[in-house]
Amino acid sequence: MKHRYHISKEGRKEPSDAEIAKYRDPKKLLYNYQRATNLLHKKPLYKDPKSFIVLILIVALAIFIAEVVEKDRTTGTEDKEQQVP
Amino acid sequence: MDPKDEATSIRSAQGDPRCFALLYEHYFAEVFRFILRRAGDRDMTADLTQQTFLKAMLALPKYEFRGTPFRAWLYRIALNELRMHWRKRKEVVIDMSFAEVRGLSEELGTDMEDERIQQLAHAMGRLPSGKARLIELRFMDGLSFVEMGVVLEIGEDAAKMRTHRVLALLRSMMTTRG
Repeated sequence: MKHRYHISKEGRKEPSDAEIAKYRDPKKLLYNYQRATNLLHKKPLYKDPKSFIVLILIVALAIFIAEVVEKDRTTGTEDKEQQVP
Repeated sequence: MDPKDEATSIRSAQGDPRCFALLYEHYFAEVFRFILRRAGDRDMTADLTQQTFLKAMLALPKYEFRGTPFRAWLYRIALNELRMHWRKRKEVVIDMSFAEVRGLSEELGTDMEDERIQQLAHAMGRLPSGKARLIELRFMDGLSFVEMGVVLEIGEDAAKMRTHRVLALLRSMMTTRG
C-alpha cells in the first residue's frame, strides 16, 4: 500500500470539538464492551456437562428415530414383495 | 489530564469498566483527530475511534501505568486499527496543511514556498511507510520521542535516532531534487 501526501495551505477541514462530540457515544461503547466480554467468556456448549448430556440424548434420539423409520420402510417393502405371486 | 489523576482513572477503570467513561470523554477528541488525519472520512473515523476505545477497554486489565501518557497507548491501538483498515487499500492519501508541515520544513531548513512544499510532499510519499510514520507522529501529531516510542513499541532513544535518520534522508532527497 502506497502513501501519498497532499499538502495545501488550508489542509483538510478540521472538525470543531462540538462536531466531534456528536460522534461520542459512551453507552454504545459500554454495550459493545459487555457484548464482547460475554462472547469471550461464553462457555462452549460441549464444555458444559449438563448441556453436553442433553446434546448427546438429542443425537441418540434422532439416530433411534431414523433407525426405526428405516426399519419400518424395509419391512413394508418386504411384505409387499411377498404378496406378489 | 494530570498524570496522577490519569493513573487514578486508569486504576478505577481496570476495576470497573464503567469508570472508563472518564478516560473516554477525555481522550475521545484527540484520538478522533489522530485517526481523521489519516482516514480522512469522518464517519469512518468515528467507527475506527469507537473500535479503538473498545479494544483499549478490553486490553486495559493488562495495561501497566509507567508514567508515559495514556494517549500514546491509545494512539498505538488506533494505528493498529488504521493498519487493518488500510489492508485492502492500494493507496492512502493524507491531507496536510502548511501549518502542520511548518515544523518539519524548519527542521529540514527548507522555505515554505509552494514548490518546495510540493517537493516535500513528494519526498514523503517516497519514504517507506515505517519511516514516514515517524515523521507523521513527530511533526503532524506533535508527539514527544517518549510517546513515539510507546506508539511504535520502541525505546525513546531509538525513536529519536530513527527520526533523525529519516530527517537526514528527507534532506538528501530534497537536495537531490534541487
